[in-house]
Amino acid sequence: MLEITQLKYAYPGTPGSTLCFDLDVNVGEVLSLIGPSGSGKSTLLNLVAGFLTPVSGQVLLDGLDILTLPAPERPVSIVFQQHNLFPHLDLYTNVALGIDPSLRLTRSQAGAVADAFERLGLSELQRRKPGELSGGQRQRAALARVLVRRRKVLLLDEAFAALGPAQRAEMIGLVKNLVHENNMVALLVSHQPRDALIASRRCAFVSGGRIAVLQSTNELLEQSQIPEVRDYLGSM
Amino acid sequence: MNSRALPAGLVLVLLAILVVAPLVGLVNLGGLPGYQPDDLQFWQSAYIRRVLSFSLWQALLSTLCSVLPAILVARAFALQPSFALRAFLLRLFALPLVVPAVVAVMGIVSVYGSDGWIPLGRSLYGLNGILLAHAFFNLPLAVRLLLPLWQTIPQSHWQLAEQLGMNAWQRWRFLEWPALREGLPGVVLLIFMLCLTSFAVVLTLGGGPRSTTLEVAIYQSLRFDFDPVRAVVLALLQLALCVLVATLTFRMQRLPEVEISIDPVTHDDCRGHKPANLVLILLATLFVATPMISMLVDALTGPVLAVLGSVALWQSVANTLFIGLTAASLAVVAGWFLLRYSASLALAGQPGRARVVDLAGSIIYVVPPLVIGTGTFVLLSAHVDVFTWIYPIVITINALMGLPFVIRSLGPAMRQNHARYHLLCQSLALEGWNRFRYVEWPLLRRPLGLATALAAALAMGDLGVIALFGTPATATLTLLIYQQLGAYLIPSATVTAILLLLLCLSVFWLLERGIGGRFDA
Repeated sequence: MLEITQLKYAYPGTPGSTLCFDLDVNVGEVLSLIGPSGSGKSTLLNLVAGFLTPVSGQVLLDGLDILTLPAPERPVSIVFQQHNLFPHLDLYTNVALGIDPSLRLTRSQAGAVADAFERLGLSELQRRKPGELSGGQRQRAALARVLVRRRKVLLLDEAFAALGPAQRAEMIGLVKNLVHENNMVALLVSHQPRDALIASRRCAFVSGGRIAVLQSTNELLEQSQIPEVRDYLGSM
Repeated sequence: MNSRALPAGLVLVLLAILVVAPLVGLVNLGGLPGYQPDDLQFWQSAYIRRVLSFSLWQALLSTLCSVLPAILVARAFALQPSFALRAFLLRLFALPLVVPAVVAVMGIVSVYGSDGWIPLGRSLYGLNGILLAHAFFNLPLAVRLLLPLWQTIPQSHWQLAEQLGMNAWQRWRFLEWPALREGLPGVVLLIFMLCLTSFAVVLTLGGGPRSTTLEVAIYQSLRFDFDPVRAVVLALLQLALCVLVATLTFRMQRLPEVEISIDPVTHDDCRGHKPANLVLILLATLFVATPMISMLVDALTGPVLAVLGSVALWQSVANTLFIGLTAASLAVVAGWFLLRYSASLALAGQPGRARVVDLAGSIIYVVPPLVIGTGTFVLLSAHVDVFTWIYPIVITINALMGLPFVIRSLGPAMRQNHARYHLLCQSLALEGWNRFRYVEWPLLRRPLGLATALAAALAMGDLGVIALFGTPATATLTLLIYQQLGAYLIPSATVTAILLLLLCLSVFWLLERGIGGRFDA
């Protein structure tokens, strides 16, 4: 279980406005984060990943504080909207980098890479470069790297925003299976309410650097009476 | 033919005449006085071979001495995205663009000469001095050209590198080198070409029989040996080399494959501060700053009053300003018309033709000033007294030299302006003067100011064609400095050089601010 407690952060230069997050995610759960741009969704992911250093607070994974670990040692994988792959390297190398940046893979590690490609239906494309692939294939390759890294926490920062509705649903389905099969926890930042409905039983509404609401996705998106949420969603 | 094609067409025709006519003059050797078919035996002569090999050798070494340290320094700047003085230092690295070559040479001599802080003795005159001076100009230039390549690395790649636990070598291998590889060949070839055609530096620091380049040999053939045939052979050789390098440059310029990053930068610096980077930046700064500082110290203790009291000085100041401002105006007007046309071509889905129009403005890189000068000399000397035609010739050639800077600093802004507002302007029937007044001037005056300032500073600091044709009455400050150096009046030359530097900087500043407006606009 991932427990985020009183995780505080202040943007450099604006010490007045402090962000503060409290959030729990269960093992096997994908939790959606929605909210206006600039509300702090990506900042929360960057804090968990270790790209930003919080002022104070705790992030516990199964009871252990991961904030004390440097970014590379955290049990975390992140997928961005774009630039997840290095354009000059083929898919195999891009995924293998997830295991060892010096690319010295043991036989069983190389086998794990092959399995990941198999699992995501990319086996034929291992020697292709990202530029030759569709957006959906590129994000699949990024998920293949998540798979071989075997880290418990998965952060998706608008990872599927550039894809069409059908592909988004398919990718979210893949993520749900991955998270369930491997006992991971996932945070999914999205601007599409429909993504949240497909992806997660629970959904958090982030506003002004806080988790303003956390409830069942259905209730939040379809029955919420909170003005802020209604303003954000508009007429659906 | 539309209203944009006509003025641009005129400029292109003029450019063609200016380049082709001297070449015809060069090739048409038959009319030269004292021409004998045997003279072309020069081809085989040891002299030409020596000049040719020294030209290439010094250009190669100069490029290495500039680009290799520049990679380290640019990397240091890229990995230290925030420290005090960073912006100031990067501006300082733009200074050599405005420093005239003779002034830089005086500065180099002041630091590394026999009385300098780091005396290199006699060995300064020759290859060592040439390399130092070329590095003074091209190391900062390369840093400024290479630094943006690091900015093409998307934020998420740095974050992934951190999450994947990459060490410095792996980041270099997977992130930095691939980004650098895209732009490096273009930068290397540009600097190679600048060093190959460098004139004033080689003339003042080399020039002896063992360290003469093609460019200087052309000058010596015409001015001292009065051997136009040899000058023509050398000029054609130089032309062939430049065409070769320019073709390579053109073919090397590949577009980077990376997508444009739209991620906002909201992260701690995940690249880490390293004292080694700051030391590298400090060393490079010292290398760029010491020649100017040392020369300033020399000048303040020099014969300031005697130099300021001479009539020749003020005559030269007037000549310099006249040539600089006229050449800059010509370059900016010609560049404006070319760019307006190429912008409309680009928008009309003809990027290839747009590129050709832009490249025509950089023709001086292919046909170097002294080649045009030599051709003009050969062409005109049969009919008129070339020394009375000096101003038109010098101004035209200086304008041609400024044109690439206009194209490069104004071009992207012009193209963007056109792409964004052309349809809107058409729907509002904004054309001609009104469009210039309401749309183009307010949005383009800043790059326009920079372009004019660069072109003026360049023309004012040029010692090239003026050395070929200049007489004491028509001398510019650069020629005056060269004459003072020739007469071993080093203290006077230092004072004059500082004066020229201050003049260039003030004119640059006035034009950049005067045309470009205040920066907070």
